[in-house]
Amino acid sequence: MAGRIVAFWAAVAVLVVLPLALTPYQLSVAAEIMIWGLFAMAFDLLYGYTGMLSFGQAIFFGAGGYGTAFAVLRLDWGIWEALAFGLLVAAAFALAVGFFAVRVSGHYFLILTITFSVITVLVLQSGHWRWLSRGYVASPFTPPLVPLGPWRISLIDPLANYYWVLAFVVVSFLVCWRIVNSPLGKVFRGIRENEERSRLIGYHVERFKLIAFVLGGLFSGLAGALLALTLRYVDISYFELTLSGKAVAWTVIGGAGTLVGAFLGALVFIVSTDYLSAWTINVPLSIGLLLVVVVALAPDGLIGVVRGKRR
Amino acid sequence: MDIFAQLVLGALNGLVWGLILALIALGLTLVFGLLEIINISHGELYMLGAVLGWYVLQFTGNFWVALVLAPLAVGVLGLVIERGVLRPIEGKPIITIIATFGLSLIFQQGALSVFGGAPQRIPAPFEWNLTILGFGYSGYRFFVALCSIVAISALWGFLRRFKYGMWMRAVRQDREMALALGIPISRVYMLTFGLGSGLAALGGILAAPIVALEFRMGLDILPAVFIVVIIGGLGSLEGSLLAALLIGELEGLTSVFVTPTTARIFSLVFMSAVLLFRPEGLLGRRR
Repeated sequence: MAGRIVAFWAAVAVLVVLPLALTPYQLSVAAEIMIWGLFAMAFDLLYGYTGMLSFGQAIFFGAGGYGTAFAVLRLDWGIWEALAFGLLVAAAFALAVGFFAVRVSGHYFLILTITFSVITVLVLQSGHWRWLSRGYVASPFTPPLVPLGPWRISLIDPLANYYWVLAFVVVSFLVCWRIVNSPLGKVFRGIRENEERSRLIGYHVERFKLIAFVLGGLFSGLAGALLALTLRYVDISYFELTLSGKAVAWTVIGGAGTLVGAFLGALVFIVSTDYLSAWTINVPLSIGLLLVVVVALAPDGLIGVVRGKRR
Repeated sequence: MDIFAQLVLGALNGLVWGLILALIALGLTLVFGLLEIINISHGELYMLGAVLGWYVLQFTGNFWVALVLAPLAVGVLGLVIERGVLRPIEGKPIITIIATFGLSLIFQQGALSVFGGAPQRIPAPFEWNLTILGFGYSGYRFFVALCSIVAISALWGFLRRFKYGMWMRAVRQDREMALALGIPISRVYMLTFGLGSGLAALGGILAAPIVALEFRMGLDILPAVFIVVIIGGLGSLEGSLLAALLIGELEGLTSVFVTPTTARIFSLVFMSAVLLFRPEGLLGRRR
């Protein structure tokens, strides 16, 4: 345990001094990798700890991004209010989808989350929702300044945005770490291991699954909001099924049920697909190919490979 | 057009759509019933059926050749997928699901780079219209309905009368016992996946003259098919058939009054209601 805490703070220290070695472009890529890691970690909370294989996390990611952008663009709110609004929207969506989804498990749960996810995209693309979403046409916006003491910091600066994202990611990781090691986290794991037995012991399984689902939705929404502030636009691609699939892939390939695995998977995948797509293959195609290959070679994830060697 | 005629046409459209959905959903359910795999790339196999059909049509100019060749080709692709991708990771459900998600990305993006992003159309193979209540109705849609009914009946007959069909049912019922009786389970799995893929592709080529042909069409059909298999009960063939017809009619009739997207939301509400009151689906076994 002590070793892991040291490793964690060492990693944070490296991330804090890393900008010294990076160009502004690399800084924005690094910020994006952290955001995707956060998104994958939110999924890990659901799948790795509670056993819910959700393919619908993009709903909440998109809700967080759209909510934040909406508050900035249309309501002209400040950064904290906008962020809170985005998280609120994401949580509300998670509560609504979760209300139905936690009643089922296994394959039903998977199908249900996919269905909700794809239909959300269909609805937002349709004409009735033009006032909110312009489909694949991006809605650009300028992130509000972050008030920090006497200063007003602009997130357009890649360095400022990098530290802004890093702060959220570190805090989120600590919160998730605290959750999964709390009694609540133990109940989650109990449900993952044996839902029926947890029910028989007397836990209200649906309620705990809903708590996990909303927590996962909140962190997904935070990731969506951070990405919207980083890219400075939102469009319907924030909601795409492919995003949920990526979160699943990164987590499983990094190692599910470890929190760190999600970040590791995101890092390895984004860097390698970046290289692959330089060879003129398109990005989703190379992700698909990588998935099929890696899944066949290392079914327990990268962390599994490392730990397996240690044993 | 008076409301009665509109409703009749809506019901007819719903029936045709429901039968196409049934073909695709039966493929998914068949695979799930045996291999216990949710094939996320199933929608892409439907898309491939339509897109391959379009290419065959470009080369031969004959729709009927496309109608036979496209499902066959995708069926063979299904055999290859089962043997090459799914069998090495058999018994790992999560990994399998991720692999099929990877496959769906490959097919979707492969189609985008080969076929292009612009929607295409396949003309109906014959120009023949029926007059119903004074309004013309496309004869091709009747042909689609007929074709689907023949294919579904053939599937039922195959499962009841033919050696491999009966083996499939045997493996479905009791894998261990089937193995003990010397049924070549691996070959049955492979054939099942090929058959399921072929059914999706048949749905694709039949639907091609009715819908817009594009690389994303698999994503359009996927929620409808998933709603159908949930309402029908996972793994229940009869349930899928019934639910497909129900959903087809629901969307066909409501489309008279609202947009297709809103009709899809009605299906989603229907599915949610089924989940609340009968989580195992209409004809599913109680778990």
